[in-house]
Amino acid sequence: MILSLLFFTFSFVFYVLTAVLYAGHWVFKKKWLGQTATAMSYIALASTTLILIFRAAEARHAPFSNLFESMILFIWATNVGYLVLEYKHKQRVIGVFVMTIESIAMLSAALLPYKFKSVEPLNPALQSKWHWMQDLLSHVGLEQYAIGWLDFHVFSTFVGYGAFAISFGLGIMYLLKGWFEEKGRSNVLIDMFPDTAMLDELGYRAIAWGFPFLSIGIISGAVWADYAWGTYWSWDPKETWSLITWLIYATYLHARVTRGWRGKRAAILSVAGFLAVIFLYWGVSFVLPGLHAYA
Amino acid sequence: MARQSNGKSLWGRAFSNLWYFFNSLKLTIAVLISLATVSILGTVVEQNKPVEFYLTTYPRFGKLITAVNVDNLFHSWWYTALLLALAVNIIVCTFERFPPKWKSLLNHKQEKFDPKVIERFAHSRSVSVSADAAAVNDRVGRILKKMRFNVVSSVHGGDYFYYAWKGAISRLGSDFTHISLLLMLAGSIIGSYYGYKDYRFIYVGDTVDAPNAEFKIRLDKFWVDQYETGQIKQYNSLITVIDHGKEVLTKQIWVNEPLSYRGIRFYQSDYGMAWDRVDTAYIAPKNIKTGVVGAPVPIKWGATEKIPGTKYSVKVVGYLADFAYDEKTNSVGSISADANNPAVRLEIYNGDKLVASPWIFRNYPGIFPAIPADKGVDLVFATFKPILYSGLSVNKDPGTNVVWAGALVMGVGFIFAFFIFHRRVWVHVRQEGLTTEVKVGGMINKNNILFEKELKRITEFVEKGDRSK
Ligand code: HEM
Repeated sequence: MILSLLFFTFSFVFYVLTAVLYAGHWVFKKKWLGQTATAMSYIALASTTLILIFRAAEARHAPFSNLFESMILFIWATNVGYLVLEYKHKQRVIGVFVMTIESIAMLSAALLPYKFKSVEPLNPALQSKWHWMQDLLSHVGLEQYAIGWLDFHVFSTFVGYGAFAISFGLGIMYLLKGWFEEKGRSNVLIDMFPDTAMLDELGYRAIAWGFPFLSIGIISGAVWADYAWGTYWSWDPKETWSLITWLIYATYLHARVTRGWRGKRAAILSVAGFLAVIFLYWGVSFVLPGLHAYA
Repeated sequence: MARQSNGKSLWGRAFSNLWYFFNSLKLTIAVLISLATVSILGTVVEQNKPVEFYLTTYPRFGKLITAVNVDNLFHSWWYTALLLALAVNIIVCTFERFPPKWKSLLNHKQEKFDPKVIERFAHSRSVSVSADAAAVNDRVGRILKKMRFNVVSSVHGGDYFYYAWKGAISRLGSDFTHISLLLMLAGSIIGSYYGYKDYRFIYVGDTVDAPNAEFKIRLDKFWVDQYETGQIKQYNSLITVIDHGKEVLTKQIWVNEPLSYRGIRFYQSDYGMAWDRVDTAYIAPKNIKTGVVGAPVPIKWGATEKIPGTKYSVKVVGYLADFAYDEKTNSVGSISADANNPAVRLEIYNGDKLVASPWIFRNYPGIFPAIPADKGVDLVFATFKPILYSGLSVNKDPGTNVVWAGALVMGVGFIFAFFIFHRRVWVHVRQEGLTTEVKVGGMINKNNILFEKELKRITEFVEKGDRSK
């Protein structure tokens, strides 16, 4: 517990610092602030990676098995997604929004009650490993760390969530900018945003990554359920909510491709989609009864 | 599809109206949103509870909930109808849209075109280069090739025309995705017609019939693994399949690792101790006068053993885990499956003569003497070794593989739809005096940002040649 919690604390500080640096760059437009912010987000990523590594070492299994660990994975995936986006499109303003989301996610992970944080051995239903991987790793004595459908399921779901978080940030930015433009007002800070067409397109690209990953996540979850329970789909609240979220994003894609929904309506749908993700992730665990222990 | 009402039978008209209804992308959105919305209900209202549950939990809506099947929403006729509408919508739209799309994918090449079209595309650029047309043309050809475009080119009156494209397969992504949905739906329908779920519990050593099948399974062993902390790590059963009297395979199963034979799968589901028999009972002699209890003698179920130091031999003929006596019927039974009040029934022989057949109790040694006629010796039930059983969920779902096939097709569809982009590029190269003007324009089915970058790369290369990066 010690090392992973140490790096958790570091990462928390790093993310808040990164968000502040991006905001500083946004307000003061100093190039060095922007570069420091980018460097800082790489450092935060490294630190988040270390949390996951130390967790794995402490728990002796892949670190995706409770709400706390999955939050770290979410934060990690969002950070990776953001850095790819920044590398490709060089729009550091987006960092203000994404790193704020990251800091909030860090805070909520920190506030989780202890029972969601502790390192637990896996219960029988969570032990699904790919035999081929166990065989492969057993040559180097690491077969404990073999992953299975469950880990794969969690990982790809959370990459999807990360992409949706980014599209959410972009949707908010779009709505803000669109609102100012509609009112005919100008604001130096809002003017720093990429133009609306670009925000719209980037939001779509983020969903175009998130949707397949969510789909793979749902399908691999079904494969695992088929092994564990003998049915690939049992309509428990978590499954149903994943379907609802998936349907919302399918609506987004269709409205966009076949009915030309762009801009504001698309942005609203992507914000709605992420609210569904939040409910799918946290709401279902705490509000509705079901088979999924977490996530 | 146009509606023609004249010259058609009523059925024909009804069909074309239906076709028209389902050939709508607005309908798609409506159905998707409806499915999402009503599904929320199915997570808020607990599913598949008895009627009374709804009447007490929702005093005002309880009746309504059961009347419109919200208590079993996902299997209600109207939820099924929504899914069916989605399927018909997909089928009709594919019928209508796929053939023209396919044709245009096959016959899209434009060797000759009016250069004015280029400026009308959403994405276009032009550059002037101080070089002659032949040299510039060479650069255009090279960069298009370098960027892996397919190219057709032609020369008309000294002007060069290019039409280039790549990623056309992207257009098929949505079709793959839609067909995959139909496959998954088909798989789930097959499963609900030809599949079943069942349950078997087997005592260690016993053999039972597989449900609806011609073979048997035997439980060879059952055990529980624990972590050092005592937390349960895994439940395991060693199962042998016996097909027409022959042992065909033996496999260790545990949670997450089922046994599959002839399409039927056996899952570790639970376990427990038999409530009506034991493997071994331990019976000890007791000297009534001194109160001294001798060493317990292990007696296998059904076997007869001599009790040392007495003249008796004992056979174990009955066991109840939670013994209870019912006065009304004057019978005994077990009121639960847990060993709360374990009791064994013995047959006690003196030589060949049966002298007593009492029930004796582990928790209450000596409340009834085992051999009423003998005031010197009593027998006590010290402990027992239980027979474990393993509870197996048994299930057959021939639709599962169709669903997985659908998942694979969906994966291919996603790669086509989201990670490959269909670009079409038109280029016109024209020399005017000492400079050559190059116009580049075209379209991409999605990812406009990428396309802008690509057009920029083309024009930069045309301007600077290999010096551009
Ligand atoms: C009622 C059923 C549906 C109909 C009629 C329908 C129809 C369409 C059409 C016409 C397109 C545009 C094709 C193109 O751009 O070439 C499309 C795209 C697509 N549809 Fe559907 N669709 C349906 C349901 C679904 C569902 C439930 C999904 C969920 C996965 C889905 C996934 C997609 C995808 C991924 C695309 C491509 C989007 C993109 O290129 O960005 N469709 N659909």
